[in-house]
Amino acid sequence: MGRFGLALGALALSATAMAVGLVSAGAAPDSPGEATPLGGGNDGELVDRGRELYLTGCSSCHGLDGGGTDQGPSLVGVGAASADFQLSTGRMPNTEPNRQAVPKPPAYDRDEIDALVAYVASLGDGPPIPDVDDPAGDLVLGGRLFTLNCAACHSSAGNGGALSSGRNAPTVHGATRVQAAEAIRTGPGPMPVFGPETLTDKQVNSIVEYVRYLRDPEDPGGLDLGLVGPITEGLVALLFGLVVLAFVCKWIEPKEPAE
Amino acid sequence: MSGPPDDRAAFERRTVNQVAIAFTISALASVGLAVTYWQGGQNQVEGVLLAIALGGIGYGFVVVARRLLPQGPYTEERDVLPSTDEMVTDFETDLERGEGWLARRGFLLKMLGVAGGALGLAALFPIRSLGPNPGRSLFQTKWGKGSRVVDEQGDPVRVSTLDVGGVLTVFPEGSLEVEDSQVILIRVSDENLVTKKGREDWAPEGYVAYSKVCVHAGCPVGLYQQDVKELLCPCHQSTFDVLDAARPIFGPATRSLPQLPLMIDDDGFLRSQSDFDEPIGPGFWNRDR
Amino acid sequence: MSRRRRMVLPQVARWIDNRLGASRVARTTLNKVFPDHWSFMLGEIALYCFVILLLTGVYLTFFFVPGSKEVTYNGSYGPLQGVEMSQAFESTLRISFDVRAGLVMRQIHHWAALVFIAAIIAHLMRIFFTGAFRRPREINWMIGVSLLVLAIANGFTGYSLPDDLLSGTGLRIAYSVVLSVPVVGTWIAFLIFGGDFPGTEIITRFFVIHILIVPAAIAVLLVAHLAILVRQKHTQFAGKGRTNTNVVGARLWPTFTAKTLGLFFLVFAVLAALGGLAQINPVWIWGPFEPAAVSAGSQPDWYVGWLEGSLRLFPEWETRLFGFEIPNPFYSGVLIPSVTFGALYAWPFLEARMTKDYAEHHILDRPRDRPVRTGIGVAVLTFFVLLFLAGGNDVLAARFDISVNQITWALRIAVLTLPFLAFLLTYRLCRELQARERAEPPAVAVLERGREGGFTEVEPTTTR
Repeated sequence: MGRFGLALGALALSATAMAVGLVSAGAAPDSPGEATPLGGGNDGELVDRGRELYLTGCSSCHGLDGGGTDQGPSLVGVGAASADFQLSTGRMPNTEPNRQAVPKPPAYDRDEIDALVAYVASLGDGPPIPDVDDPAGDLVLGGRLFTLNCAACHSSAGNGGALSSGRNAPTVHGATRVQAAEAIRTGPGPMPVFGPETLTDKQVNSIVEYVRYLRDPEDPGGLDLGLVGPITEGLVALLFGLVVLAFVCKWIEPKEPAE
Repeated sequence: MSGPPDDRAAFERRTVNQVAIAFTISALASVGLAVTYWQGGQNQVEGVLLAIALGGIGYGFVVVARRLLPQGPYTEERDVLPSTDEMVTDFETDLERGEGWLARRGFLLKMLGVAGGALGLAALFPIRSLGPNPGRSLFQTKWGKGSRVVDEQGDPVRVSTLDVGGVLTVFPEGSLEVEDSQVILIRVSDENLVTKKGREDWAPEGYVAYSKVCVHAGCPVGLYQQDVKELLCPCHQSTFDVLDAARPIFGPATRSLPQLPLMIDDDGFLRSQSDFDEPIGPGFWNRDR
Repeated sequence: MSRRRRMVLPQVARWIDNRLGASRVARTTLNKVFPDHWSFMLGEIALYCFVILLLTGVYLTFFFVPGSKEVTYNGSYGPLQGVEMSQAFESTLRISFDVRAGLVMRQIHHWAALVFIAAIIAHLMRIFFTGAFRRPREINWMIGVSLLVLAIANGFTGYSLPDDLLSGTGLRIAYSVVLSVPVVGTWIAFLIFGGDFPGTEIITRFFVIHILIVPAAIAVLLVAHLAILVRQKHTQFAGKGRTNTNVVGARLWPTFTAKTLGLFFLVFAVLAALGGLAQINPVWIWGPFEPAAVSAGSQPDWYVGWLEGSLRLFPEWETRLFGFEIPNPFYSGVLIPSVTFGALYAWPFLEARMTKDYAEHHILDRPRDRPVRTGIGVAVLTFFVLLFLAGGNDVLAARFDISVNQITWALRIAVLTLPFLAFLLTYRLCRELQARERAEPPAVAVLERGREGGFTEVEPTTTR
């Protein structure tokens, strides 16, 4: 039993570890609180403060007047939504401009982000911070729209998915409703843009309701194994189900062959 | 299992008690199962109680088998598998009774073959009713001259519908959800896009449309990466260059996605100029004919 | 009272015997000897999974509706309230949310399917690595391989029945693979599906295949499989008192019966625990099948994963000649599986020819005693594990933050090189183990305990 049991045990343990590894998504970075839809009209003081912050933290890549350099794109016309998304998810500042920007703990607090957002919004007309409560989103409609428009990249469970050349569509579980709506409207990185004539506000608000639902969907069946799908289910069946049963067999017939 | 009779009896008694407890626990779990069901049910509780109920019985059987029942080892001789020469000869003699007669009736046998074969062949014909002749159905979709482009809700697509960098799944008006007519509509820019020679007016105002049915194995090619302007199929990772007539640049796909020639009508709606100029979707034997 | 009870059973037995005359056969059967090794129970695990599949399956057929007609959902799962879906999907939701104990039955059924095929393959591996497929067991080997094919077919048809987005994507791929068959592919696809994809027939037809045709075929082959086993008697490892012309072990009645019944209940218990505690195939998350929708990270059930990996890894090659083509999925989706299963079927005959060994074998090899066979087995296993990983290349890429393109290329190379490496390593390992045993025979002392106590040493028998 000794060597064999060890081998089986090690196999089961490593498989469980692999399954758990596949299953556990990265923790969502802290969100500095949701942005509120900007009431229109620039608050001059806020814009000035934003400009100060911008010059220190952003101009080296995005240019002294937001027009862009070869390190970073122009911010003219990207809108408050884009700035708020990038800053509140911590994607910006981006320490590795050649790689896809990844979410990380934000470098700025809520007030600073509001200021930066106001400044970027002042550079040119662009998508504003979306109002995710009005019109009210419909969960069922959101689910249907998510399946057709979002699942291909982000997966039906919102776990995310692989794109070409090392990029990925991230998990949507860490996003607030506002961040999700901002992403939809501004199309960050590889993500396409869904403007107001592509998806109405009601449709976007419905999708973000569904995105929030996916954080903790109904799982009456028990442990949801990360909702990864048949791979984890197969690993569990093989390396837990079958291994446990092999141990059961060994318990029933413990004798070694050479008696 | 040797040893003084007292030890043995005590061992047996202990085993019997253990098994009795296991069976009792099992019975209690079964009662719990019934109660759970009666009270409205709960999946996790049902599964666990069922596992205990079954496991208790199983445990009991195995413990009894291992500790109380005769272990042996017993020995049994194997039969010699091949029959003796005498048996084989006897068999052949009996077979000869019919076979010999058959051997002299070659003609009859052949006619039986004809009858049986014909019946067998005829019996295959009902298979034909299972489905229609493929005909030209793999060569056509519901797109035609002037078909209006609509989204999944059936709303027509205008020039203003997509932002640059936007993407939408569309169908021909009147044929929503028809699998072979699904198209991925992408707004690559504001300007006319020429994907290939001869397709100069296929992509007006930056709107380009490709069949969404992957040419490898038919999955919807739903991932549009708007920064590098590539379409990625999630099933087997075939990647298509949107600016180059959806030419495959990675993965098992062997040809480009068929492009739908678009036009913008006088009211600003998007329409197709015609059906695709080749069969959509995965390959098949006579695809190039 | 007990005397009366003791007299009933023999009376019943007599009654049956007067009509069937089965006492002799019954007695022989009861006394049959079964060699005992834990790995001999893997086939039984598969058998009991099949029984559990039948039991839970029958339950499900009372509630599942195998239809494609669109209905409006009106059950308890909120996010799909009012959505149009097929009867198949709707009835699956109903089983999962609105039929008491429906979900646990459905989950036990699906877990049982996964473990069923796992057990078959584990059993197949045991047979392979111990040489139990050799004469006279070639027929049973081929029956066994057929059972594996049928089990996979039933698994595929089974998980396609709910008509959800994930299995529907798999169906689309299957349609394309059938389409790729030269000359007759389009006809076969149109006949099976009743026309274009998806059509309205496939769920109903799969239902008939899944609950009637394949289970009947499995049942018949299982009976044959067990009958041949009984006729030929089980193989055994070498050991004290064991020869090529006997079987040593426990009798069918009562010991083997008790053990195997115990195993049945324990298999059922493990599956019940999984069915209640571990969610499987949550179709409500995937949603009903829509032809224009697809999810990232779509994989088939694990036992089809190797085929999916083959489709992903195979390079963009296809043949086009004179206006005819043999498309890419034919090579990855038809040719490779055909070669695989062809080789499996043919193995006993291939090995007999290669080793020039046509004798009857009832004593099993230890894997280390046949380094070439064991090496080949490990190499083939490596190949299939790599294909399984390839089937999940996008999930691996997303989870471990590696380029999916790089993973694909790495696996393409691995699939062509690692099996050879695996063969060499395994071969060496076997040889090494053999050498160690020869150099230092295991320190074994066989002691016999006397009736009055005390021990005497008995000469140990070598195992080879």
